[in-house]
Amino acid sequence: MEEISYVGAAFPVRGDLSEAHARAWRRLSEPGTHWSGAERVAIAAELRHARGCRVCAERNAALSPFSITAPHDSLGALEPAAVDVIHRVATDPRRLTRAWFERILASGLTDGQYVELIGVIVTVLSIDVFCRGVDVQPHPLPEPREGKASGYRPPAARLDVAWVPMVPSRGAVGAEADLWTSGRTANVVRALSLVPDEVRTLKDLGGAHYIPCEKMADLRAGRSLDRRQIELVAGRVSALRECFY
Amino acid sequence: MEGEAAANASGVRHADALIALADALVGDDDAAMGKARGRLLQAVGACGLVDAAAVVSNFERMVRIADATGIPLDAPLSVLAGELGKELGLLRYASAANTPAPGTVARLIGALFRPLAHGTLRLARLKGRARGGTSPLD
Repeated sequence: MEEISYVGAAFPVRGDLSEAHARAWRRLSEPGTHWSGAERVAIAAELRHARGCRVCAERNAALSPFSITAPHDSLGALEPAAVDVIHRVATDPRRLTRAWFERILASGLTDGQYVELIGVIVTVLSIDVFCRGVDVQPHPLPEPREGKASGYRPPAARLDVAWVPMVPSRGAVGAEADLWTSGRTANVVRALSLVPDEVRTLKDLGGAHYIPCEKMADLRAGRSLDRRQIELVAGRVSALRECFY
Repeated sequence: MEGEAAANASGVRHADALIALADALVGDDDAAMGKARGRLLQAVGACGLVDAAAVVSNFERMVRIADATGIPLDAPLSVLAGELGKELGLLRYASAANTPAPGTVARLIGALFRPLAHGTLRLARLKGRARGGTSPLD
């Protein structure tokens, strides 16, 4: 299996970043909760392919993202609904709507598949963006590993304030006890909790890229950049992507 | 006030170079990326550049999680934020539709607690200075 390495990079990449990326790459290759290892790697490949999609480019320039109905330039390994999710989340995340999400589910993708799909997309995308930032070529995708998806669904997950079911704030108990301190979390941490392994990956990467959850309230938390600099960058990205949350 | 003037007025060290890197990394212009990388490297060094790239990529992840799942702003924050979203022009974002406007009672509670929140932050700043260091809020 290809290992992620930043040895030889022009800039010194912290060990915790490199290790978190290696863990994420390994998870990418393994069977997940609703997708096999091969499907998860196919999602990553389609994500990278989406950047060159002419339909996405045309849609991004259009006033309404839903006025362009042509099929995406796709690698052909995944169902059209999954391809649409990958391309839209990658290239036009600011204009996703509940109505679009409901059409995706109506086309046959389950809510669990959708949540895990989002988890894979954002994991790979964030590592690819990081690579570009430090002038490193994107890592080769890993070889998929054999095995069946677990099909696990947290018993406490339910629809409340979002489009997807989530584990309630006080529901991080039992098998989900490690996700967050029960009763104290934010919606953005709960967002992928229908597939708890995606929350685990999110926390692992977030701790290395940004700030570990347990230090979030510490206004002094930082590394080479201080907390204000970190939050300035975070706020800028959020504004550029027009993310209200 | 926008652009570099706003960045420099923020009081955050090297704000202009940090923003330039964020803009370039979110964009797709490789020439701009190279230029921004070099500029930030001069300002904050190699470790700072790596940290900045890590934060940008983190939030490229987080915004998509938020927008793809339709999560609303957490209720306590929404109440405390009050009209801030409107003042900053954030309500024009399509994703603002995922956060319902607070009701009358919530707005009253927010109006009551916002001065307390300001006071708490002010106290944290004073305590930080009293301990002999700078407060992260300076």
